[in-house]
Amino acid sequence: MPIIKVEHLYKNFGNLEVLKDCNLEVNEGEVVCIIGPSGGGKSTFLRSLNHLETITSGKIWIDDKLIDDRTHEHNHAKISKKETEAVLLELGMCFQRFNLFPHLTVLQNVMLAPVDIRKMPKDEAKALAKDLIARVGLSDKLDEYPSRLSGGQQQRVAIARALAMKPRIMLFDEPTSALDPELVGEVLQVMKDLAKSGMTMLVVTHEIGFAREVADKVVFMYDGTMLETGTPEKIFNSPDNERTAAFLNAVL
Amino acid sequence: MTDMTKTGKPAGKSGKTRIVLIILAVLIAVGIGLSFTTPNLEDFENAVPDSFKELEAVRATVPTYHNYGFISDYVMTKKVSSVSAERISMLGFAGQIIPTDGSTFLTFTVNCLNWFPNLIRGAGTTVALTLVSVLVGIFLSVFLALGKMSHIPVVRPFCRAYIFFFRGTPLLMQLFFVWFGLPLINPLLTLQSKFTAACIAFSLNCGAYCAEYVRAAIESIDKGQFEAAKALGFGYGRTMFKIIIPQTYKRVIPSFANEFIMVLKDASLTSIIAMEDLSKATQNILTSTNQVSVYIPAMALYLLMTWACTKLFGALEEKFSIYQ
Repeated sequence: MPIIKVEHLYKNFGNLEVLKDCNLEVNEGEVVCIIGPSGGGKSTFLRSLNHLETITSGKIWIDDKLIDDRTHEHNHAKISKKETEAVLLELGMCFQRFNLFPHLTVLQNVMLAPVDIRKMPKDEAKALAKDLIARVGLSDKLDEYPSRLSGGQQQRVAIARALAMKPRIMLFDEPTSALDPELVGEVLQVMKDLAKSGMTMLVVTHEIGFAREVADKVVFMYDGTMLETGTPEKIFNSPDNERTAAFLNAVL
Repeated sequence: MTDMTKTGKPAGKSGKTRIVLIILAVLIAVGIGLSFTTPNLEDFENAVPDSFKELEAVRATVPTYHNYGFISDYVMTKKVSSVSAERISMLGFAGQIIPTDGSTFLTFTVNCLNWFPNLIRGAGTTVALTLVSVLVGIFLSVFLALGKMSHIPVVRPFCRAYIFFFRGTPLLMQLFFVWFGLPLINPLLTLQSKFTAACIAFSLNCGAYCAEYVRAAIESIDKGQFEAAKALGFGYGRTMFKIIIPQTYKRVIPSFANEFIMVLKDASLTSIIAMEDLSKATQNILTSTNQVSVYIPAMALYLLMTWACTKLFGALEEKFSIYQ
């Protein structure tokens, strides 16, 4: 049973069709990389999954629960708001621009959501936060404010912050695109470790090397459609679609 | 070079500031101390110089002469003659300590001491009114700003109309309406004191202005913050009060400082409904003593209050800037 299942997803911004008939299944523990040129709808697709965007029509199951069954944005899914919120907590997300809370320290950033949303006792949340911050290698930065950290460090804190909610699925929206080249490696390393630990991950990325090494499945998106889906070997070595081949020629 | 100016400037500045502060502190302490003394009429009689006595004798023969403001209150409660009241107003409560005849400078100094209790009491009212109005106003403004940005059918138009009304009509007229207008609509709406009336009018007005500052500050926060909060499972209210509004503190404090200073000075409007604020106290002293120099200590007090307020908000701004 796939942990994420998307059927016939459409998304319009006004008259502009951003996503057209997207279908995807992700099994538990799988790492799916979504690649493709800019403006292809990769980020919009990812953001639709955790309701940062409202889809125009289509069906989305997460953890076997139908949370979206929409036509013309109207949701037919028989699920309460509370249940939807609970399901969405299974999704953690990291953004291109990190979006750490600048008025809180690293530790407070990671602790905030578990205490406020999961109602975790403060001591427990603190221990969890410290553990996660250690996992991303920033134990010496607990009491720093985000503005004092490099981009790579900020993104690692953002990953720890998302993990603190104990999600079963992690969404990464171009996590290394805003970083200086020499800082990309440390973030990718954290993501590789995460993938090894069995986390289900959806990664929108331009890092072809990372996709080749870590992904179980690669999706090539172009102009709002999922043109090609397959194993990394298949996509990178012998793509069926000529658009995929052209894109890979340009980036590799 | 920059290091020299950095280290040199604060040292000199702090030395000068300290002297000014000490002088002001002494003056205020004396004023506050004197404002607690109750005048003993006999002491007044004895302290009055002969030249005053003659003047008063002449004035007492004029039947239409009246005193106003706190003096007349004093006359009513203590049942003293208007002649004695005149003496009190001319000498102040410090008159029993230092008689006011001598050199011009000494006269001014002694006059200041005499006026200080009333001025300080007036300034106290001004500060109290400003504090209450700005604090209530800021509290109101957060909800008005959120209301104006919300999409809830009734709330949004209400908040828009509220802000439009209170920013679009004169504060003086709002004050008149609360104090004079409400009792005419229904006697039950009569307010107990002028201070309450002023607080209501000023708070409502201040709320409208601050709401716009708060809204602008909230809208200036990066959209990514809202998205990150939503992705972590925060609802609208929690996102606002835990994540967004704390980030606006630093941005709204300069505006709030501005508003505070504006209200502090606009508080002088209350003298038109005869509330005993600093402006009214100054005016009372002027009408009863005819000494124009009363404006000097009065304005100095205003400057002192705005200076203290600037310092306070500056410190607050610094406190909230640590993360940037």
